[in-house]
Amino acid sequence: MNITKKNIWVILAFLFPGLLIYIYLVLYPIGQSVVLSTFKWDTLASSRFVGLENYVTVFESRLFWKSFTNSLIFMVATTALQVIIGFILGYLVYLQLKGYRFFKVMYFVPTVLPSVAVGFIWNYIYSPGMGLLKPFMVAIGQAENYMPPLASPTLALIAIIIAQTWHSCGVQVILFNSGFMSMPNEVIESATIDGAGGIKMIYHMVIPLSWDIIKMVIILQAVGALRSFDLVYVMTGGGPNHSTELLPLHLFVNSFQNFNLGYGNVIAVLIFVLAMTITLGLRKIMYKESIY
Amino acid sequence: MGILNLLSKKSSKDNSPEPNPQLKIGSKVTLRLIYLFLAFCALIVLLPLVWLFFSSLKTQADLTTNTWGPPKIWVFANYAKAWTGAKINIYLTNSIFVTFLSIIITVVTVTPISFVLARYKFKAKKFIYYIAIAGMMIPIHSAIIPIYMMVGKWDMYNNLGALSLIYGAFRISISIFILESFMSSIPRELEECAFIDGCSIWKLFTSIIVPLSKDGIVTIAVLTVLACWNELLVSMLLLNRPELKTLPIGLIGFITEFNSEYTQLAAGIMIAIIPSILFYIFAQENIEKGMIAGAIKG
Repeated sequence: MNITKKNIWVILAFLFPGLLIYIYLVLYPIGQSVVLSTFKWDTLASSRFVGLENYVTVFESRLFWKSFTNSLIFMVATTALQVIIGFILGYLVYLQLKGYRFFKVMYFVPTVLPSVAVGFIWNYIYSPGMGLLKPFMVAIGQAENYMPPLASPTLALIAIIIAQTWHSCGVQVILFNSGFMSMPNEVIESATIDGAGGIKMIYHMVIPLSWDIIKMVIILQAVGALRSFDLVYVMTGGGPNHSTELLPLHLFVNSFQNFNLGYGNVIAVLIFVLAMTITLGLRKIMYKESIY
Repeated sequence: MGILNLLSKKSSKDNSPEPNPQLKIGSKVTLRLIYLFLAFCALIVLLPLVWLFFSSLKTQADLTTNTWGPPKIWVFANYAKAWTGAKINIYLTNSIFVTFLSIIITVVTVTPISFVLARYKFKAKKFIYYIAIAGMMIPIHSAIIPIYMMVGKWDMYNNLGALSLIYGAFRISISIFILESFMSSIPRELEECAFIDGCSIWKLFTSIIVPLSKDGIVTIAVLTVLACWNELLVSMLLLNRPELKTLPIGLIGFITEFNSEYTQLAAGIMIAIIPSILFYIFAQENIEKGMIAGAIKG
């Protein structure tokens, strides 16, 4: 329909409240954090413009680079794990063997749980006091190799990656499954008649046909991993010795515990830039003409 | 929740086309291996939850000696202690209030915008649409410090309404993304007829478009529930009075307080996850649909 003079006011009234809230509470704060990243707070009440000084401080900070590296490791590992597991399970569910609905519903359960609760559950699984990990190690005869993973600087991040994968892999299963469901039936059918099956089928037909969805799942997951805060906060608080400090937690600690708001805003801007770069970069790398 | 369930059940069958893939599994061995793998993954998913459930009903002594099995004596008192000791009822009430208010804010603001963007042609339309959905790419962490300062300026810390408003605002982008594409698929003849009959925009919106978009609106509401119910960072920064805590922050406080009484901790976590599981049981189809719609433009 076209907008006419008669109805323009109604339409503006329709757009106004939502866009106002959105601009004021989402877009404006983003802009604001760019501005604030150039200020320094001497006390909580007084701040002054310092240009790029905060950026220099951040880039010279050893802890920033540590949390940056942690974030990258976390991102690559969770994305790889979840995309691979999600793809396999999504495909197996797509085969619609007897009882596939049960599996599909089950795999999604952890995703709906509050991440705080998931963090605590895995805390206890790993803990020496009551956990499952220690008895499991005893059962497979590796008792002497057990140590609380969350207390070890080398294992803690891996332990959190596992918990995160358990928590959110269900989304990938659902997304892949829906992607496979929308592949054209006739193509798959004729490929089967031509004798394609199993791995060959997946490699030559399924992956190219569902490339769009694979691309999208990877991007969503990679950018999502960049925002991960809850599990780390609950499970380790960034420790031991900052070995699990991801960028959002680094931001949180510096802004709201050390009250270094300028520094925190620089991290905020960097998270934003990183999210954009990863989205656009991955899109470019994985660009491929659609088959149809 | 019940209402959501009813809506979802009705549309569940016709909305999920079930192509019958012509992929026959060749040998019996392969088929068995596939089932084994599927079952193994299901076990990994369920084991922590079953274990948590069992632990929540054990005695402390039973817990340390009997890791894998069900409780020898079922101690329901753990739940009573966790419930009274932790004020979980207060956190639940707060979370329900915040979630409910966020849904209202999201639906009331997003529905008219999506209607205009989906049904009208005008110059700035594309621009407004892209600005509106750009927020999907914005991590809330990037805005959290200015939001924290802004709420401070309003003198609105410890205000569940302010928290809901921020939640609502951050749901707008993805909800427009979903609802706009939903509304675009409603046949246009309907409103032409309505106009010939002399129907006003408001009437068209409330009595034709909104009822027809019911499924889409339910979807954005369901996704809002998941997001708001589980949110930690913002609520942690904006609320610090114990009687206003939402479930995630309340749970953290509870865990710190009960520290080493594992069985009661397990009971507390169980109480905290039961609402989510119930919600999943009732709204499973809608959650699934929403996840797909939020990720793929379709």
